[in-house]
Amino acid sequence: MKNTEPIYDVVWPLAPSVASPGSLAPRSDDLRGKTVGELWDYLFKGEEIFPLIRQQLAARYPGITFVPFEVFGSTHGRDENELAATLPAQLRQHGCDAVISAVGA
Amino acid sequence: MLRAAAIAERAGVPSVSIVTTPFLQQAAVVSKGVGLPSLPIAEYPGVPMTDGSDGVARKIHDLLPQIVAGLAGAREGIHTRAAEPAARDTIYRGTLDEIQEHFHDNLWSDGLPVIPPTLERVERFLAQTRRRPDDVIGRLLPENRAATVWSIAVNGVMAGCRPEYMPVLLAIVEAIADPIFRAEDAGSTPGWEPLVILSGPIARRLDLNHGQGVMRVGRQANTSLGRFLRLYLRNIAGLRIPPGAGDKGSIAGSFNVALAEDEDTARALGWSTFGADQGFTRDDSVVTVQSVVSISPPIYSAGTRALDHARILADVFGGACSYWSSIGMKYARWEPLLVLGPSIARVIAEDGWSKDDLRRYLHEEVTITARQAETYALQVGATSFTLEAHVKAGVLPAAYAVSSDPDRTVPVFVQPEKIGVLVAGDPGRNQSKGYVNNHIQGGRVSRKVDA
Repeated sequence: MKNTEPIYDVVWPLAPSVASPGSLAPRSDDLRGKTVGELWDYLFKGEEIFPLIRQQLAARYPGITFVPFEVFGSTHGRDENELAATLPAQLRQHGCDAVISAVGA
Repeated sequence: MLRAAAIAERAGVPSVSIVTTPFLQQAAVVSKGVGLPSLPIAEYPGVPMTDGSDGVARKIHDLLPQIVAGLAGAREGIHTRAAEPAARDTIYRGTLDEIQEHFHDNLWSDGLPVIPPTLERVERFLAQTRRRPDDVIGRLLPENRAATVWSIAVNGVMAGCRPEYMPVLLAIVEAIADPIFRAEDAGSTPGWEPLVILSGPIARRLDLNHGQGVMRVGRQANTSLGRFLRLYLRNIAGLRIPPGAGDKGSIAGSFNVALAEDEDTARALGWSTFGADQGFTRDDSVVTVQSVVSISPPIYSAGTRALDHARILADVFGGACSYWSSIGMKYARWEPLLVLGPSIARVIAEDGWSKDDLRRYLHEEVTITARQAETYALQVGATSFTLEAHVKAGVLPAAYAVSSDPDRTVPVFVQPEKIGVLVAGDPGRNQSKGYVNNHIQGGRVSRKVDA
């Protein structure tokens, strides 16, 4: 039997991506003597996790130092936008060579 | 969390982000949305909230190589954006059934059949607004797509809206694109759902239900407006449950139909309407959107005095809010909504109580212990939360730390003025219902409808 159903031409239900393509920051070869900033969302046991990371990285990389999460404030919640706006300046101010951000859960 | 890492990367500082295994897919959506799809991740296996201290220590030890690899060593270069269809392109041709399959396969539907978005249908929606199709209302994370007027029309068609709803659809998207609403968090694990509230003449003009069965599917305007918003969050913000990603609502809920107020009753009682409470005049048509993370039981209350009803409302609405109030306290912005049945509003108002009197009563009478608040917050993941520290930081008022006794009581409602009160529902019954919102996620935002 011949199909007499209507045929529809339809458009895309999404909208253009406005993500601005970027590139990752250049990395150095190792972490000796580097300053690492801790960014925390104040959730999911970061207060246990960051000290463990500090201890283990310090044992492996002489001269490594940390800017503790308390310095930056929370990356999640009511102060998130303010932190986002000031983060690049804070990272410069504290001489951060790298950051660890946690905890995504 | 990943957004902070992306900011660091763009500032020239290498990052690595610790993400738990169940969140890797969501992390991929967020990373792509911030334009850095290869943001380095160190995978924490499992769920930290169910790991003991030994388990956390072992897992952190095991993921150390991933942390080091993320921060040091070579990484790939600049990313480019993939080509996407233009707005008016035909992306598929087929029968109604074939279109349903195609949209399901591409995760473009909400699981229900959609109305095919043909050019003709979309144009009918666009004819209802003075705005240009390519006007951008805002951008919606995590997928980070432009909330264009065109895309609003397309998804309005798909959701079964009528073309004359277009001004309301625009106002809804204006509201959710406001940073206060935090659409980027609409896929968080509590699984909150937005609630659209219509106020003013537009609600009557579009035939919204505000009476019996107001929150049930069945009236076209209430239902399709609610459905539109869920569909829009899926398609433009990219919040999809599996087999998609981006929406991590653990159990979550389905869309709310749009709510309208029984404004005639509110005015007859001498009360301000919900729209007026948001700062608008009676001639303004207004859309308000806020999150709803849970709903109280039906609250039946009887009696001829305001206090008779207020006591029951405090018990049941307050009880429904108590567990989640710890999160309200953590972020100190919380906007629960109380929908009062018309007969109950009448008793309360005729006994001389204003809406503010009711709010004040709820604030004073509904309490939990400090121990409960801190314990509840801990379960959700706020592992370092204490009321005392939040008072010290100026987030909470001093009343939350008058002593260090864990059995002291503290108010469930941090800011009574933020309790929404609205009259709707069955005028022939004595029932109310409470809607608990998700703290700062899905904050209450109102926009005037350009109609």
